[in-house]
Amino acid sequence: MVSAKKVWALFSALLVMVMLLSACAPQPAAEPEVRITEVVKVVTETVIEQVVETVVVTQAPEEEKPTGRLVVGVSTQPNTLDMPITAEMQSRNSAHAVFDSLLWINDDGEIEPALAESYEVTDDGLEYTFHLRQGVTFHNGEPFNADSVVFSWNRYISPDLEWSERWAMADNVEKIDDYTVKITTNEPKPLLLRTIATSWAMVPPKYFEEVGDVQFGQSPVGTGPFMFVEWVQGDHVTLKANPNYWREGYPKLEEIVFRPIPESATRVAAIQTGEVDIVGRLSSEEAQSLLGVPGVQVISYPVSRVYYIAFNNITTGVGAPTEDPKVRQAMNYAVDVQAIIDSLFSGYAKRSTGYVATGELGYGVVEPFEYDPEKAKALLAEAGYPNGFTMDFACPAGAYTHFEEVCEAIQGYLTEVGIETNLEIMESAHYWDLEGAQELPPLFGDSWSETSGEAYNRMAGALLAQGYSSWKDDQIISMLNQISTTIDTDARKKLYEDLQKYMVENPPFIYLYEPMAFEAIRDHVQDYRPRSAEQYYLFYTRTVKEE
Amino acid sequence: MQRYLVSRLIQSIAILFGVLVLVFFMVRVTGDPATIMMPREASPESIEAFRHKMGFDRPVIVQFWDFLTHAVVGDFGNSLHFKIPALPLILERLPATVQLAAGGMLLALVVAIPLGLVGGSTPGSVWDGIGRLIGLLGQSIPNFWLALVLIFFFAVRLRLLPSFGRDELRSMILPCFVLGLPTMGSLVRLTRSAVLEIRGEDYVRTAYSKGLRPNLIYVRHILRNAAIPLVSVIGVQFGYMLGGSIYIETIFSWPGMGQMIEQAIGWRDYPLVQAIAFLTSVIVVVLNLFTDMAYALIDPRIRYGR
Repeated sequence: MVSAKKVWALFSALLVMVMLLSACAPQPAAEPEVRITEVVKVVTETVIEQVVETVVVTQAPEEEKPTGRLVVGVSTQPNTLDMPITAEMQSRNSAHAVFDSLLWINDDGEIEPALAESYEVTDDGLEYTFHLRQGVTFHNGEPFNADSVVFSWNRYISPDLEWSERWAMADNVEKIDDYTVKITTNEPKPLLLRTIATSWAMVPPKYFEEVGDVQFGQSPVGTGPFMFVEWVQGDHVTLKANPNYWREGYPKLEEIVFRPIPESATRVAAIQTGEVDIVGRLSSEEAQSLLGVPGVQVISYPVSRVYYIAFNNITTGVGAPTEDPKVRQAMNYAVDVQAIIDSLFSGYAKRSTGYVATGELGYGVVEPFEYDPEKAKALLAEAGYPNGFTMDFACPAGAYTHFEEVCEAIQGYLTEVGIETNLEIMESAHYWDLEGAQELPPLFGDSWSETSGEAYNRMAGALLAQGYSSWKDDQIISMLNQISTTIDTDARKKLYEDLQKYMVENPPFIYLYEPMAFEAIRDHVQDYRPRSAEQYYLFYTRTVKEE
Repeated sequence: MQRYLVSRLIQSIAILFGVLVLVFFMVRVTGDPATIMMPREASPESIEAFRHKMGFDRPVIVQFWDFLTHAVVGDFGNSLHFKIPALPLILERLPATVQLAAGGMLLALVVAIPLGLVGGSTPGSVWDGIGRLIGLLGQSIPNFWLALVLIFFFAVRLRLLPSFGRDELRSMILPCFVLGLPTMGSLVRLTRSAVLEIRGEDYVRTAYSKGLRPNLIYVRHILRNAAIPLVSVIGVQFGYMLGGSIYIETIFSWPGMGQMIEQAIGWRDYPLVQAIAFLTSVIVVVLNLFTDMAYALIDPRIRYGR
């Protein structure tokens, strides 16, 4: 009896200890929602202010040698450092700093020359002449010239490589002389320059042929601000400053270490202890728990990704009520997207107005559908479905934050106007197989991101009635084809605007939201400017000594 | 003894072959890697080109023969996701996983055996209470939860230990503890009950009546007989620790095989999944073989047949 008592006493003591331990975890503030909104705003603003200030300061001490070490906690380890064929953004960013392209996109989203000093485009938009920067060398000493450009293009255009479409936009790349390259396309390609800037990494022909494609992905050589040092599988990738970088006075950092930390709760811990200087892919809850932690700043920005529920009118949805545009409008009126954003994302997401995301060309001409269940019911009655109808509905599991709950909420809203849905949540890889084969139910949820600064690729992907698209609207398709061959930006903008207006009257989706990304950085990190779609350049990023 | 070993060896090879067959066909049921590996905007032509390069456009039976003939010489092909040969990729990760499992097992043994021994010989004592508590906690605390709590307490609050990675010896402490705790718990319970049971055996009484010192009796007579069930559990648990540290490696960002398994399955990386499954089975089969041999060494009844 006595011993049993002792054991119980011990056990309860331990239980109390464990509870105390868990109580040590950061506690949410008494009124989290109110406080957090303010703080995130303030923090974002100060970060922007700092960026503006420091840009001015950095110009002065040009002679400074690169100093400091930056440790970036990324959510997955890279699959390869061969930048053009990396599988996703996190690995792309690890490889990004080693390479340069002919052009780059500056912080204002404009195209600027990089490895090319200048370029000309013919009036018909079919010929691009690039004048290359002279005296640039790869990290191994190989000179950068027209041969490198031609070689890189020939390598990555191979159709069995991931992302070869990005290179296949150009139909020919030829050397004019050592420092002049002509790129030709068979038809006007308005997105070519942006694609070159974001995807066309220049690789050294000699080194590449020497080591082969497998080894190149393990120890890459480029012209970029940082040189590859080592990659310990699953543990870290280390880069160091390129002393001969062509952007004079850059890079500012001496060393960058990318460390994969797959578990987001561990990333939250590591930024607090200072073991890492930057962490990304945090949930809004995790970002909130970091507010007020000394030495840590929270950054949030909109991601150029759009979430939607798509319809199908070419396979499973043929003959369904959703072929009537009134029904599709009704379904848009029926869903209270703002309420979903407020409850599931604590307000940190933005209602999408259509299928063009914030900041993309032509954004802002249409307003999101209002939440108006009465109007929805009226439209349904007009369309001949006063008592609603029943439909199958599917969403992927575990692919996107809270997306299962979003779909369940939509199901609830649709029920309120009389539309019964059989919601099936499927394993995501299987889901995308079905989506690619156009075999999903006539109502299916997904999201699409785009890094080019224009909505075209996203729209083409989801609306050209092939591949992942299950929607065929001849008007939309013809407008998209026009966009894809119109070089003039203003004309293209007008086309995007007209298309968005058309897509309000004839919605191919239930429009949902654009999410926000959350990252955290240590106070001493300066000039870290992540862009939408989690992409960043690190050559101007600095660290200042922490007291 | 030799006949026993040979028959176990043949069995093991048959099991490994079965695993190869099973894994090959099971990964193919999960779906087409081309749809995951290629970007969404990829044209049908480039998806076809990818399939062709990887050989997925050939009949399954041809692929299977190709796989078998290469697998027997240790060539599992290039990982689709990582683009380098699959087997060396895993072997590079293996030491980290073995280190973690060995650390966890060592911790479990060092704590569990003495506690179980003391607890079993003095049931109801304070030490017995502690041992039983560990037994209970080890089996009931979810490891991912414990891992996070420990990170927040020892890394974030106290700043005593690193929160992730495999940089120094101290990095091992938390993941080894979390990984070792369930084994520690079951070993304490097992040792305790074995000692309790053996304590009352006739040969122990005889040893006492011979006038042997209690310490000697515990080590030579009780522990040695308790070792038989312990060895089998240790063998099984160690295999489990090597293969089952996926969560722990992920949470502590430990660069071992477990982390890679998760990625490989997510990317439908057939060659990598096949190589990992095969290597893990080899390890488990070899461990079982060792366990069986250890039995034979410890227990003469097995050694001398029947």
